Amino acid sequence: MTSNAPAPLSSGAPWIVMKFGGTSVATLPRWQNIRELVASRRAEGARVLVVVSALTGITDALKQLCAQEDKGKRIEAYKAIAQRHYDLLDHMQLSVPDTLATRLRELSKLAEEGPAVMGELAWSALVQAHGELMSSALGAAFLSHTDLPTQWLDARECLAAVALPNQNERTKLLSAMVEAKPDPALNERLAQLGEVFITQGFIARESQGRTVLLGRGGSDTSASYFGALLKAQRVEIWTDVAGMFTANPRQVQGARLLQKLDYEEAQEIASTGAKVLHPRCLSPLREPRVPMLIKDTNRPELEGTVIGPEVREHAPSVKAISARKGITLISMESVGMWQQVGFLADVFAHFKQHGLSVDLISSAETNVTVSLDPTENLLDSDAIAALASDLAKVCRVKVIAPCAAITMVGRGMRSMLHTLSGVLAEFGQLRVHLISQSSNNLNLTFVVDESVVDELVPRLHEMLIAAGALRTDDSALFGPSWQSLYGSGETIAASDAWWRMQERERLLALGAEATPRYVYHLPTVRKQARALKTLGAVDRLHYAVKANTHPAILRALAEEGFGFECVSPGELKAVMAVVPESAPLLFTPNFAPREDYAWAFTTRATVSLDSLYPLEHWGDVFRGREIVLRLDLGRGLGHHEKVRTGGSGSKFGLPVDQLDAFLRLADAHGVTVRGLHAHLGSGILDVKHWSEVYSQLATIAERIGSVAFLDIGGGLGVPSHPGEAQLDIAALEETLRKVKAAYPHYQLWMEPGRYLVADAGVLITRVTQQKGKGSWRYLGVDTGMNSLIRPALYDAWHEIVNLTRLDEPATALYQVVGPICESGDVIGSDRRLPEAQEGDVVLVAQAGAYGKVMSSPYNLRDEAEEIVIE
Amino acid sequence: MTHPIQPRLTQVFRFVRHSYADGVAELVYAFDQGEELIERVRFPAPPALTPERKHAFNAALRLLHYIAGVSYYKAGVPPKIEVADGPLDDATADLLEALYLHGLAEFAYRNGLDLRGRIAFPRSGEPSGKVEAAALHLPKRTLVPIGGGKDSLVAVEAIKQIGGEATAVWVGNSPLIAACAERTGLPMLNIQRELAPGLFELNRLGAWNGHIPVTAVNSAILAVAAVLYGFDSIAFANERSASAATLEYEGQQVNHQWSKGYAFEQLLTDWLHTHVASDLDYCSLLRPYSELAITRAFAKLTPYFDAFSSCNRNFKILGPKPADRWCGQCPKCHFVFLALAPFLPKPRLLAIFGRNLLDDETQAAGFDALLEYHDHKPFECVGEGAEARAAMYTLSQRPEWQEDTLVARFRSEILPQLDVSQLALEPWLHASGEHRVPVRLQAALAAIG
Repeated sequence: MTSNAPAPLSSGAPWIVMKFGGTSVATLPRWQNIRELVASRRAEGARVLVVVSALTGITDALKQLCAQEDKGKRIEAYKAIAQRHYDLLDHMQLSVPDTLATRLRELSKLAEEGPAVMGELAWSALVQAHGELMSSALGAAFLSHTDLPTQWLDARECLAAVALPNQNERTKLLSAMVEAKPDPALNERLAQLGEVFITQGFIARESQGRTVLLGRGGSDTSASYFGALLKAQRVEIWTDVAGMFTANPRQVQGARLLQKLDYEEAQEIASTGAKVLHPRCLSPLREPRVPMLIKDTNRPELEGTVIGPEVREHAPSVKAISARKGITLISMESVGMWQQVGFLADVFAHFKQHGLSVDLISSAETNVTVSLDPTENLLDSDAIAALASDLAKVCRVKVIAPCAAITMVGRGMRSMLHTLSGVLAEFGQLRVHLISQSSNNLNLTFVVDESVVDELVPRLHEMLIAAGALRTDDSALFGPSWQSLYGSGETIAASDAWWRMQERERLLALGAEATPRYVYHLPTVRKQARALKTLGAVDRLHYAVKANTHPAILRALAEEGFGFECVSPGELKAVMAVVPESAPLLFTPNFAPREDYAWAFTTRATVSLDSLYPLEHWGDVFRGREIVLRLDLGRGLGHHEKVRTGGSGSKFGLPVDQLDAFLRLADAHGVTVRGLHAHLGSGILDVKHWSEVYSQLATIAERIGSVAFLDIGGGLGVPSHPGEAQLDIAALEETLRKVKAAYPHYQLWMEPGRYLVADAGVLITRVTQQKGKGSWRYLGVDTGMNSLIRPALYDAWHEIVNLTRLDEPATALYQVVGPICESGDVIGSDRRLPEAQEGDVVLVAQAGAYGKVMSSPYNLRDEAEEIVIE
Repeated sequence: MTHPIQPRLTQVFRFVRHSYADGVAELVYAFDQGEELIERVRFPAPPALTPERKHAFNAALRLLHYIAGVSYYKAGVPPKIEVADGPLDDATADLLEALYLHGLAEFAYRNGLDLRGRIAFPRSGEPSGKVEAAALHLPKRTLVPIGGGKDSLVAVEAIKQIGGEATAVWVGNSPLIAACAERTGLPMLNIQRELAPGLFELNRLGAWNGHIPVTAVNSAILAVAAVLYGFDSIAFANERSASAATLEYEGQQVNHQWSKGYAFEQLLTDWLHTHVASDLDYCSLLRPYSELAITRAFAKLTPYFDAFSSCNRNFKILGPKPADRWCGQCPKCHFVFLALAPFLPKPRLLAIFGRNLLDDETQAAGFDALLEYHDHKPFECVGEGAEARAAMYTLSQRPEWQEDTLVARFRSEILPQLDVSQLALEPWLHASGEHRVPVRLQAALAAIG
C-alpha cells in the first residue's frame, strides 16, 4: 500500500458512519474492498466509523453454542468458531492481535462455564455479542496493517440501552432499544483518539452493565444510533443490492431503483415489504436529520438510495408498490352496536384472547373489518374458529381469506388520486375487500384475493408508470431497473432505433417535403420476423395483418415465410392480392355475417369460429368443413381471475362451459375441429403466459381428439418506455419447448402482429403553434388523432422526439397536441423536449402498428401519406 | 397409400399379439385389416424373469393385453371382437365383458351408444372353476400406486404406520405424481405407458372418444409388475363411494369410476388368484371408508399439503403456486375442498387451494352438482351426494364458514328442503366391513379410521 496519507483532520471534521454486513467481512478480498471504501471517505475529509456484523455464519454458530447443554460440545463449538477467525487472519497474513486474543479467551471461558453463573439470557446475549466483538477486532488489525490506522471501539461504551415499559427480561436483553441523541462530548472524545474507528453492530449495554442485543436488523440500527450520536454527515449501509426498489424485484423485474426517499416513505416501504432495510433503523436518524445512503458493496459505482428529510422540489410521485400475502380478514357486521361504549374494546379483547394481532382496520356504520397477518398460530390452531364463535355471539362475522394487501407508497398520496384512475379501474375488476389510507397520507392499501396478486402487481407497476403516477421519467428520483442491474442472463436492452441515427437525415428530408407522413423501415420488419423465426418450438407463424396492411410489409413477411391472419374479407383480399399462393391464410372474424364465412370457404383460408350461433343457424355453410375453434380461457379454467367478471365482458371467444355444446353441434354437422385458438391480450412481456395458454388449450384438446394444432395467438409485447426490457425471445423459446414436450401431439401456431411492425414505423409531423396556459405548455403539430388514435383510444404511450433538435437539451415540458377539434387530441403529455420552433420535424415512434390502419378522415384533414424505406 | 380408415364404420376389433422383452411389453391391436396399433409399456430396470414365475407373468401380460385394449376398442366400437391367441375361458371373458360394458358405460352414455349385447369376447366354453393358481412365494411387500391425490397418500401413511414394506408406483410422467411419490420417502417405481401413435390418427379421423376405465389398465400393469419385480400385494386407495353409480341411463347404471369400485376389485382379485398366483393380492386399502373418513385422515398429513392435488386438470408443468395444482373449477377441486373443510383450520385449507371456493358465487352450480341439488353427481371420482351434504351442513353450523356466499346460500335455500337428521357427519366416519384387504395388511385399516 502507498502511504501518501491525507492531511490530518481538524477536531470539527464531519463523521461518516459505514456499516458492513456479515458476507462483506468474511473474506480477505472483501476486507480489501472495505479498506478502499473507508480510505476514500477519509480522503473526503471525514472521520470514519465502521460498524460491522459478525463473519457470516458466526452468529448462527454462536446461537447453536448457546443451545448446547453439554460442556464438551460447547467447547468444540467454540473451537470451530475460533478457527474461522484464525483462517481469515492466515489469509491476511496477520498474527492474532491482542484485542482478538482477549475476546477469544473470554468466549472460551463463557463456553466452559455455561449459563449457570450469569443466567440463561444474559449469558446468551454476551456469547452472541462476541461475533461482532471478534470481527471488529480482526478488522481493526487488518485496516491498521494496511496503512489505515484504525481504532477499535467497544460499542457498549457508547450505546446505552433504555428500559421501556412492557419489557420482560427476554426483550430487555435480546431486543433492546437505545435512545441516541447527538452527543458532542463523545464526538470530542473520539476526535482526540483518531480518524478511523471500527466498532460492533448489534450490541449495547444496559443500566446494570450487562451486554444486550438489538434484535432483528440490529447492525443497521447500530449504525443509525452512531449516526445520531455523532450527528454524522451521513450513514452508509453497504449491502448486496443497490438500495430500495419501486417493487419487489422477484415480482417485478422492471422495478426501478429508488434514488431519493424521505424517512417516512422509506420506513413505509420497508414495513410493507422491502427486505433491504429493517424499518426500525430509520427512526434514530429522523430527528438529527442525518441522511442514510444504501450502497451495493460489489457495485460501488451505482448511485444507491439516499434517505433523508422530506424534499419538496419533486413532483409528487408514487414511489413503490408492494404486496403482502397470506392475510386473513375478519369482517364484523352489526347494526347500531358500534356506538355503544366499550363495544369495540370488547370485540378487540377477543382477538387478544386468541393471540391474534390486528393490522389494518376499516370501518363503516355497520361494519368493521380488520386484517390478520399470517402466523403459524393462525394456520394450524383453532384460533380462527374459536374467535369466530366468540364474535358470532355479538355480530355477524365473516372470515375472508387468503388475501393480499397491495400497498402503494408515496408522499402526498391523496393529491395523486386523479392520476390513479387507470389503476383504480383495474381494482374495479377485482374483489376489493378493504381499502385503507393512513392519515399520514403516505400509503394507499387495497386488500384483494391472494390469487390475483402475482399477475396484478407487475401489471399495476406498469400502469403506474404509464399513468404518470410513478414518475420514472424523473431521473433524479428513479434509477435503473433491477433487471438491467441484476437480471439473470443478458438484459436485452433496446437497440438504438433506426430513425435516431441511421435514417435521421432521410426522415428530416422527408419531413421537409411534406407532413404528416408514415415512414416504414422494412429492414426492421425483417429483423423482427427473423427474431421470431428463431422460435423452433413454433411450427407456424402468421402475421396478424390488422396491425398494418401496407403491401410492402405483407410482401416482406411473405418472403420471410409467414402465414397471414385476416379478420375480414377485405383483409383476405388485400393479402391474396400481394402474397404468393403458398402462403397459409387464417380467417378469424368476430361477429361476422354468414356470407363472410361462405365466401372464406371459397378461398384457401382456414376458418375459425368463436360462438355457437353459426353452427346453430348456418349449419350448411360449415357442413363437412374443418374449422378452428377460438376459446375464451378467461373464465372456466381458473386462470386469469382478474377477468372473472371481465371474461364474459369480452366479446371474443367461446366460453369453455359451452365447449360440449359446440362439439355436439360440430358432430351433428360433420364439422371437424382441427385447431384450438386462444388470444390472451396484448402487450405481454411475461413469456410464461403463452406456455400457460398452450397447456390450457392442450388439456382441452385432449378431450376432443380431432385437434391437430393449437394457436396461442399473439400479443407479444413491444416495450415503449425508455429502459424497459424487451421481450426475451430465448426465454419464450425455452418455456414453449418445455410445454410442447409435455404435449407433443400438437402443432404450435402463433399470430404476432404489433411485434413485427410497431418499431418499423414512425409518424413524422411538423410543429405548428405553441400556447401557454397556466403552468401548462402546449406544443401543436400538424396531425393528431386523425392519423394516430392509439394515445386517445388506449392511453398508449409513444415516444416523441423533436427530430430537428435531437441533440439539444430537453428543457421544456410540453403537452404535444394535434389540430383536431377534440380535447382528447393529445399525442403525448408531460414530455421533456427541447424548446421547439414552428416547422420543426417531430417524430412519433412505434407507429408502425395500428397507426395508418386506424386513421380516419375526421375533421377532413389530409391523410398521412405512407413511405417505405426498403 | 391405403384408404384412410373410418373408425366408426369398422367391423372387427382384433387383439393381434403381445410380447415382452427387456422390460418392454408390446401390445398390438388392429381394426379390420387396418394398420397395427402398437402400445408399449416400459418397466424400468427389469430383473430377469425366473422360470418359476414365467407362467404367471405370461398370464398377467395376457390380461394386460386384453384390458389395455379398451382404449383402442372404444375408437370404433365394432360389432365383433377377435382374439388371435385363441378363445378365452369363461372367467376371463366374464371379467373383460363386465369391464368393457361397465367401464365404457359413461362413454356410451355421452356418445348416445348402447353397448349392451355388443361386447362379446370369443369363449372356449371352459367353465370358471375356482381352482387356485400355484403360489409364487412373492416377497412380502406392497406396490402402492400414487395418484397425486389425497387417497393414495393416506394409504401410504397407513402402511408406513404398521411398518409394512412398500414401493410407491405410478404409470406415466406426471410431475405432480412424481413430486408426491418423492414426498412419501418410499422407494419409487415409475412405469411408462406409450399409447399407440395410430390412436391419435384415428381420433383425427373421427373416432369415438371419451372416458375409459383407466384404473383397470393401471391395475393390470401393476399385476405384471408385481410378478416381474416380486410383490405379494397391490394396494389401491379406492374408497367406498367409488362403487356408487353416477346416474342411471335407460336402465343401465353408469358409474364414472366403475373400475375403482368393489365389483371390479373382486373380479380382478379372484382372477389373479385363479390365473396368476394364489399369493398375489389385489385390494383397495380404503374400501371400507367414506371420502369423509379419508379426508379426515388426510387432514393430519401436513407435509403433503403443498405437494398433493386431486384436481382433474392434467397439470403437466408444475409450479409453486396453489393455482399451479388446483384449477378451482372442476368437481374434484370442489369436492376435496368441501370434504377437507370440516377437518382443517380455515386459513390452512384456503392456503392449500389459494382461494376460497365456497365464497365464490360463480361456483354455485359445481357445488350444487356435488350435493345432487338440481343435478346428478358429476362424472368424476367424487364422494356421494349425501356425504357432500353432510360436509356442507357441518360448515353451515360453523361461525367461521357460515357467512361465505355458498354456505349462506345452502343455509337459506337448500337446507330447508333437507332432513337435518340425515346430515350428520359422524356416521360417515365409521368403517364398513366390506373389503378384500389381505390379512397381512389388515392392521393398516385401523390406522386409517
